[in-house]
Amino acid sequence: MDSFIQIDDATLRFRIYRNRTPALKESVIAALTKKSTADPVLEFDALKNLNLRISGGERLGVIGLNGAGKSTLLKMIVGIYPPQKGSVHVKGKVTPLIELGTGFDHELSGRENIYLNGALLGRSFKQMRSLEAEIIDFSGLEEKIDMPIKYYSSGMLGRLAFSIGTIIEPEILLVDEVFSTGDAQFVNKAKDRMHHMITKSSIVVIVSHSMEHIIQFCNRVVVLHKGEVVASGDPQDMCDYYHLNIAGLPVMPRQPKEETSSPVAAAAAAAIPIAVPH
Amino acid sequence: MTKATIDQPKISGVTEASLRASGQDAESEALSAIAGQLERTIQSSSGESFISFAKRTLLELTNIKFALASFVVNNLRRRYRRSVLGFAWSLLNPIMTMCVMTAVFSMLFHQDPRSFGVYVFTGLLPWSFFNDSVLAGSGSITGAESFLKKVYIPKLFFPLVTVSTEGANFAFSFVALVLLSTILGTQLSWSIFLVVPIFALLFLFSFSCALFFSIATVYFRDLAHILRVGLGALFYTVPIVYPTTVVPERFQYLYAFHPISRFAELFRISVCEGKTPGLEVWIAPIVATVLVFVIALYTLKKTERDIIFRL
Repeated sequence: MDSFIQIDDATLRFRIYRNRTPALKESVIAALTKKSTADPVLEFDALKNLNLRISGGERLGVIGLNGAGKSTLLKMIVGIYPPQKGSVHVKGKVTPLIELGTGFDHELSGRENIYLNGALLGRSFKQMRSLEAEIIDFSGLEEKIDMPIKYYSSGMLGRLAFSIGTIIEPEILLVDEVFSTGDAQFVNKAKDRMHHMITKSSIVVIVSHSMEHIIQFCNRVVVLHKGEVVASGDPQDMCDYYHLNIAGLPVMPRQPKEETSSPVAAAAAAAIPIAVPH
Repeated sequence: MTKATIDQPKISGVTEASLRASGQDAESEALSAIAGQLERTIQSSSGESFISFAKRTLLELTNIKFALASFVVNNLRRRYRRSVLGFAWSLLNPIMTMCVMTAVFSMLFHQDPRSFGVYVFTGLLPWSFFNDSVLAGSGSITGAESFLKKVYIPKLFFPLVTVSTEGANFAFSFVALVLLSTILGTQLSWSIFLVVPIFALLFLFSFSCALFFSIATVYFRDLAHILRVGLGALFYTVPIVYPTTVVPERFQYLYAFHPISRFAELFRISVCEGKTPGLEVWIAPIVATVLVFVIALYTLKKTERDIIFRL
């Protein structure tokens, strides 16, 4: 397929305003008293001179510490954050699985939320009607679907969100840590569906702290550190690189893809977000 | 600070095959929607012309028309869900407001309450629509922070949802007006259909104001308080609760420059008087609408790429 993502020299700068709620009153007073109106601004580059080309067929894993810019990178590809410098070119329909359940209205029933969420993903009422039964079936919420979702447990909400978000086969799939929702039974179903989605998509970009998932799904990995791509290449090599040079952890024992990783490695992977505060 | 541009999404031949296959019609064309335009370039340098910006914005809006309808319906549903009378409130509310206003001001200005009631109601409807659109619309972008940070959605979507919701309310209230004025003995003529173009113009006017203030609120969060007072004062400059005859002759010409009072006038002439409004009544509303629309769109173009960092 000819879909691709091309990022050229993109810099994304966040400005943090000390004054979170700028007021007209203050500006007027500052102007009258001839004080400087300059807001104390803290700037930092979430992404720095990023160059990345992702072509059809690639399953790209993005790893890095918390705050390295992984989620920001996905949000830039979606179009939420425009870069201040450089460009992002995307060809193909993007389906983000970034924050499931965005736009849920808690006053409305599960069924109504299916249509609302579908509409947010650009689907018409008609299309959602044809997908409704399948979504409800997959979520396993049959008898509770007409209840306002404020009475749902967080697990049920997660199941509903996942079922809506993954109903279609996307061209470009962006995944941000959405592997586990609901109970054990649902997690297995969800894993199967994720697997299916990942195989069917032309391009997949996965952000995860789970090296297990990264190695299982990806055929290329980039390591992000402080907004820059510091390494790129084979998943296993990159995970080792990440553990050695960035997370400061021992290298995970190499294992064949099919097996689940050892408890030690899993614990090490799970500990990453907490282990190294930067 | 450099600026970024999001180029117009080009709908190429690569439409999403899976949904096509599931037997959906041309509507799936609009699929590209918020989540995925088919081809899109986001660049840092802003070389986009105003016209191409306007075109792109319009295209983005057509892509999310389903979401728009869905949001408006849900807003209305939520507004009336917890009340016993439900949608009847949207009819009762303006009637009750009108009764209070008519009772007070017909005494004050010694008017016949029957015809004055209809007079007040026809003026009150466009005013309430404008007032509520601007007030609720001004906080619509700041209120949608959680959306804007999670999905790609054009910024003007949120003020548009607010104004459309108020528009639906206007339609309900208008039904109440027609019923009431018939009961009170007003002769309706075919000119009542002129309400459609008049309202379309008022809608665009109110939406443009709401869009402008929703952006301004991002930069000045206390704007809502100022707006509330400002609109409260503006209300009394529009002849709604008083007849124009109480305004001294030498000030009458000022109404020619007052678009909102002209909007009220347009409604009155076509509904109460059953006539076609003359060109001189149309000028101020049309000029004002075009002006605020261009200003609002220009403001959006200037700030579009900055808003997300300010939320």
